[in-house]
Amino acid sequence: MHDELLRIGALILIAGLLARGARRVGLPTVPCYMLAGILLGPGTPGPTLIEHPESLELFATLGLVLLLFHLGVEFPVEQVLGSGRRLFLAAACYIGLNVGAGFGFGLLLGWGLPEALVLAGALGISSSAIATKLLIELRRLTNAETPVILGIIVIEDLFLAFYLALLQPVLSDAGTPAEVATGIGTGFVFLLLLFALARYGARAVGALIGSREDELLAVLMVGLVALMAGLSSGMGVSDAIGALMIGLVVSRTSVRERVERLVLPLRDVFAAVFFVTFGLTIDVAGLAEVALPVAAAVLVTIATNSAAGLIAGRLYGFNQRAAANIGLTVLGRGEFSLILATLAMGAGLDPRIGSFVALYVLVLAVLSPLLASQSRHLARLIPDRLLTGGWRYVRGETMSTACTHLDRIDPDVRADTLACPACAEDGIDDWVQLRLCLTCGHVGCCDDSPGRHATAHFEATGHPVMESLAPGEDWRYCFVDRTLVREPLGRGPAHHGTG
Amino acid sequence: MGHGVHTQELPGIGTRYDIDAGGQGQRVSVVVRRDGKRDLYVFTGASADPDAVLELTEAHARKIAAVLGGTFFEG
Repeated sequence: MHDELLRIGALILIAGLLARGARRVGLPTVPCYMLAGILLGPGTPGPTLIEHPESLELFATLGLVLLLFHLGVEFPVEQVLGSGRRLFLAAACYIGLNVGAGFGFGLLLGWGLPEALVLAGALGISSSAIATKLLIELRRLTNAETPVILGIIVIEDLFLAFYLALLQPVLSDAGTPAEVATGIGTGFVFLLLLFALARYGARAVGALIGSREDELLAVLMVGLVALMAGLSSGMGVSDAIGALMIGLVVSRTSVRERVERLVLPLRDVFAAVFFVTFGLTIDVAGLAEVALPVAAAVLVTIATNSAAGLIAGRLYGFNQRAAANIGLTVLGRGEFSLILATLAMGAGLDPRIGSFVALYVLVLAVLSPLLASQSRHLARLIPDRLLTGGWRYVRGETMSTACTHLDRIDPDVRADTLACPACAEDGIDDWVQLRLCLTCGHVGCCDDSPGRHATAHFEATGHPVMESLAPGEDWRYCFVDRTLVREPLGRGPAHHGTG
Repeated sequence: MGHGVHTQELPGIGTRYDIDAGGQGQRVSVVVRRDGKRDLYVFTGASADPDAVLELTEAHARKIAAVLGGTFFEG
């Protein structure tokens, strides 16, 4: 026993130290845990700490279950449902493009249909943890596109639930199409039952585990999660989805916030064991074999992410910088890809999936923070016609909604002239572009015009926000905050007559 | 929230408050994360990129708030 403890302890400590070093230079933790597993596992020459990865299987499964449980607990159901059609459209495009490309790529590899279905999710679903940490580290929490990025991630999590439910019967060894259909049917009925439990039984579940003492709440919570995950697994639905659903149930109880706080350290530790264990199963010789397909997959992912970012940017009327930020921030792949690879390996699919996903996650782990921080270079390459705003002057600028003067906007304001009245009074007409005051409807010429009457109007009246009246442009600028602004997300697009 | 403060939910992170601090581009955004940490974004002018960002623990945030609010008297 002491030998086993020693080995597990050393492995986790090394994994943790590796991740700590990576965090110093802004790299994500998940791939580091996996890397520690690969380096110290039986599939790599050199020192081997754990000879049989199976010995860690129970801990690893707990890690997977707690990961998905936490995802369910913190899932913001109300916010997602209230987030409006535009966000769903943007997320649907993101998921459609990425998962679709992943599936197509999987088919092209020719490893088989179940393998392609797994790769669809492994290549298509991004890592929430990596994207969230990137936004904090790159100091982009006040950017206009940040709520959109976070919204896409949340809807991706929702998609994951349905995707896992669909995938399970494909993975379990059901032979005939009828058996597969029955499997999918059973899975969805079980899911519906859990949804019903979330809707009507939350109070009972809350009463069952809702002890006032944190100690007891933690014990009851872990017991309930493991039980439900096991039960789901027995029903032919994966343990992962059972854990996710019971998380959703708990998220509707009064103990939600305490559970969220208590589960976090447990999740972090056991999830790290899960990632390390995944690494242990990887044969380093297999990595070289899949290097070329992985390089191609990474390029495809960057392309589909950028395209999805452009679509979201267009939907929200963002500029190039914001669109590039969306595409490149949601690039990281991590926990979900590794979960899917584990499920695939467990189901006895082509073992190359393991090496493929491991290398893919490693490459993107290094690339995604790098590309996200350099998004302004991609922004300069994006031509204007791909976005609605006509952002010629402000392509590379960060957009912000951190304008505190949106309450001064009159939604009914319209432009009633196609020329600058102040210039006309002076008998000149060499203005370049027109600006509309969104408080009173005053039309004046821009700062590239000799008159600069829009700025003069702000200086005279203090009316803060103006909109460009140039054909094809609809950006807004706050004179007081000196920032480009968009209307707060969740409201519909602006309806201004542009002349 | 009152005049000059704009609130926005950031799913998975927390809540963001944008506070007008006297115009001319001078404003402050505070993100209260769900784990209690606070990110303080300070903007002083021309750009939408912050001039300074501080990541504060709950204790640090309280200390700063007490001093700013004038309830901290010890020397």
